[in-house]
Amino acid sequence: MLSTAILSLLVGCALLFPANGGIWVATDVQHQPAAAVKPSAVATVATIGTAPSPEAPAGSEQAPDTGLSLFLRNGCGACHTIRGTEAGGTIGPDLSHVGSRRAIGAGVLPNTEEAIADFIARPDLMKPGVKMPAFDMLPKAEIHKIARYLKALQ
Amino acid sequence: MPAHQSHPRANSSSAASGKKDGAERVANQPIKVRLKHVLIGTICLPVVILLGAWIGFFNVGASTGHWKVTSLFLDLAMRSAVRTYALTVNAPKTLDRRGLAAAAGHFARGCAICHGAPGELRSPAVLRMLPQPPDLRLTVADWTDAQLFRIIKHGIRFTGMPAWPARDRDDEVWAMVAFLRELPKLDANGFRALSGESTGADREPAAPAELAECTRCHGSDGRGRGDLVPALAGQKQDYLFASLQAFASGDRTSGFMALPVTGIDPAAMAALAKHFAAQPPTSVDRDQIAATTIKNGQQIAQAGIPQRNVPACSSCHNGPGRNPIYPRLDGQHAAYLEEQLKLFRSEGRGGTRYWRIMATAAQRLTDDDIRAVSAYFSSRSESPQ
Repeated sequence: MLSTAILSLLVGCALLFPANGGIWVATDVQHQPAAAVKPSAVATVATIGTAPSPEAPAGSEQAPDTGLSLFLRNGCGACHTIRGTEAGGTIGPDLSHVGSRRAIGAGVLPNTEEAIADFIARPDLMKPGVKMPAFDMLPKAEIHKIARYLKALQ
Repeated sequence: MPAHQSHPRANSSSAASGKKDGAERVANQPIKVRLKHVLIGTICLPVVILLGAWIGFFNVGASTGHWKVTSLFLDLAMRSAVRTYALTVNAPKTLDRRGLAAAAGHFARGCAICHGAPGELRSPAVLRMLPQPPDLRLTVADWTDAQLFRIIKHGIRFTGMPAWPARDRDDEVWAMVAFLRELPKLDANGFRALSGESTGADREPAAPAELAECTRCHGSDGRGRGDLVPALAGQKQDYLFASLQAFASGDRTSGFMALPVTGIDPAAMAALAKHFAAQPPTSVDRDQIAATTIKNGQQIAQAGIPQRNVPACSSCHNGPGRNPIYPRLDGQHAAYLEEQLKLFRSEGRGGTRYWRIMATAAQRLTDDDIRAVSAYFSSRSESPQ
């Protein structure tokens, strides 16, 4: 019940993105000097600020990063499908119900938030020859947010 | 020789042959002595030379120049080495002239100080360098394309000629070769026009001083002078800033960019990124490309090539809310995009901290894919707003 509610909220904010596109770009430009100087620091501060409710809906123009928005922002949807979102890639596995899988990484890792985060950062370490590139250049907080979001996809 | 052959027998058979053996040794003696002298000489000579260097016997002053014989030897050694090592260089049949403007800009900034440029007098200090840097308008015809490539890429020891600042950027070195072929034909005005010399009149007062170095190649409208120079107008500010930092730190390789970004402080970089990001994007002049090529490119950009694990380009490069360090590609020069994709594919490019994601995707693209997808993005001209 709760997860369905959260999912529908997420779908709602995914739909809001195109509508808010112009505003999004505008706020981006405003904040760029600061973000540009220390992107990781800014990202960390933003994460700390929103940590208690990471899945909060993105209604205002100061939209906090959700797991889904980070997933889409960094291009994960190019390879992975999550039904009900704009992520429709067919190269990697469908992640629509990844949270309910028993194991990840071809069965070598338990399906925990921690393991998903590790896999996103360095998939090649868990699964040699994997087609997915490493995303360890993303701030740790963002990786964990994406992992939390994926784990919640039951 | 016969005595030598009898040697083993002499040892094993009888005492009578012992006398003969002794006589042989005496006969061999002068040779042994000469060998000893040679040995002593070869051991002592380096010591004597080292001692001479240590007490300061050798004059390193440039005031009198080399001895004639030294100068002839060095010149011979240099020309022969360039000729020989250039044999391994695969020169293209025709030089790519699309990088002329960028190469001219680089020449004005990095090379002209020693080699001079049309319409500019060289400093008397440079003319007294040993050896004197040649006026390339007069000497460039002495060399083949492959030899010029070899000299520009690797430099020349003992002359002050440095190697190209970036490894794996042969494309830039070939652009320099193409420019050097053009150089003897240029007069002062022609050179100034090609190298994008700023007149100072179009300079905005608020713009950072470094801007003149950028507009040399990227143009004051930010559209990029020449197809191999990227258009910066309307590019994402975060991407521009991250790229400038990558050039400065060497994470992105380019000889053309290494020179102007060195020594720029981060505040000026941020100002430059802001300046170009705020310029209105305009579609670049482009060659006539077959509609089918653009259509193939559109297919790859929007849907990828799933059977070859190529993700759709637009999942990262188009659409709202994308990572601000993923660049905008719409309206970019096709030749530039092609070159960059090939550099990503060979892992010779580097870039922002996200570059490996692009390298992974580029390694699954064929030359035809790269041409098509570059043509497609170049043909798009929607503004990012």
